[in-house]
Amino acid sequence: MSSFSSVLPTAARGLASSCRSSLRPVPLAPVVYRPQPIRWASSSKGSSKKSSSQSQSKKKEKPTKKHAKEFFQRDLKPMEQFALCDAMRYIRAFEVGREPTVAKYEVHVRLKTKRDGPVIRNMLRFPHSVQTESRICVICPPGSRHEKEARAAGAVLVGEQEVFDAVKAGKIEFDRCIAHPDSMEAFSKANLGRILGPRGLMPSAKTGTVVEDVAARVEMLRGGTVYRERDAVIRLPIGQLGFSPEQLRDNLRATLDQIKKDAARMNDRITKEVYEVVLSSTNGPGFSLNGEFKSDQSVDTAAMHGA
Amino acid sequence: MVNVFKRMRKLKSVRILNVRVGTGAAVFPAPSSATPEFPAITRLHLTYARKIYGGHQGARHFWRNCLPRLKYHNPGIPMTVRQTTDQEGPAALSVYFAQQASKTASMIAAADLKDTHAPAPADNEQVAVLDVKGLAYPEIWSKLKNLTNATEIAATEAEKTELRKLEQMKVKAEHDRVRIATMRQKKKDQERMLQEARGEIEKLKQL
Repeated sequence: MSSFSSVLPTAARGLASSCRSSLRPVPLAPVVYRPQPIRWASSSKGSSKKSSSQSQSKKKEKPTKKHAKEFFQRDLKPMEQFALCDAMRYIRAFEVGREPTVAKYEVHVRLKTKRDGPVIRNMLRFPHSVQTESRICVICPPGSRHEKEARAAGAVLVGEQEVFDAVKAGKIEFDRCIAHPDSMEAFSKANLGRILGPRGLMPSAKTGTVVEDVAARVEMLRGGTVYRERDAVIRLPIGQLGFSPEQLRDNLRATLDQIKKDAARMNDRITKEVYEVVLSSTNGPGFSLNGEFKSDQSVDTAAMHGA
Repeated sequence: MVNVFKRMRKLKSVRILNVRVGTGAAVFPAPSSATPEFPAITRLHLTYARKIYGGHQGARHFWRNCLPRLKYHNPGIPMTVRQTTDQEGPAALSVYFAQQASKTASMIAAADLKDTHAPAPADNEQVAVLDVKGLAYPEIWSKLKNLTNATEIAATEAEKTELRKLEQMKVKAEHDRVRIATMRQKKKDQERMLQEARGEIEKLKQL
């Protein structure tokens, strides 16, 4: 997985780099060598240990491995890859007896990318909505045009004072919260940060939940899924278990298109490519996909939906 | 993501193979292959209680072991499972036949058992309910097989070799585990001995 030096605790890493400098007065790689005075101080508790490790490192001089610039990509040749329908057939077998709206198909997209640098982070709207029900609360001046639009777009709770009262009473019956800039003053007066903050429901311009066009945002949030890249893998749910192969294919295609678009939108110097796509599920194993929809031994797609 | 070999071995040998062969790897009569004695199966539903006492263990094992295989070989048949909290309630497997029940249904199925959690049959469906309380899962499977006349699918030659390989690997793993354990123990013993010797020197110094 990761190289040896990343496994070491930070204190030990500081130790290792300082050992190297004592052996070789000219630092080998100035980029790698960073004097860390604070970590030195924290690691001073075992001084005898330090000297022993120094003498040891003198005997068998082992250059510590440098971080690879890119994530290590394994050769996928021995990996058996599946057509979408075949993978679905197996996953449906593993998920038998589960509630088809609760169990979800997941996709794990492995990227070919550098270890450092920006990561992909975006939101996506699927052609077929994954969440069964996402309850959205909209804070906007009552009686305004925005209120009507938000209600039309499917928000559950709309208003200003009534929302604040409900939240203060401990009735939080929504999963997302959006606010209109006009109501932000009233909102900050209501002092709900204590209640909404820890739940991650605080509207803020940074996360895109304080917007002028409330209705469009509600539309987007209802079918939207947030995803981000972690350690070169993007994981996100892409469908309910009851979906047909066609529905899942549409969602998968939308996901990959969006990820490719995100990658292309990044800085010119940064290249990110999709390396492997794995289809998995809530309780099932992961199947590496080969990009085909059906193979010769696939069963009829009409049979594969529902429970 | 994990090493490709690890992923492949677990997926292929442990999980995929397990779902293809074993108890319950069988095909139910489809509409095309159905006979008047054994009509096609349109749906399965299993109900059992959450805890195992009161004879609900076999039903859960049936879900864990046989249902995935049945689902794999009959992907078009909806299969649902309902776990109740009612320990005294029934452990029942409802089998939905197209048009009429099979001729063995009158002998095998429980006539008086009614599963309230099972979905209601459509107009052209007939339900036979198996009482599976207190039965082990192979017994449930043989009952179901007799009821529906499912044809079991034998493991192919490739699958058999794969199974044999797995068996060999298991034996080898046992052997290797012992070997590594002795190695580690030896190393630990030596370290302890050195530690003790060092302690004695310290003691001598203090004297």
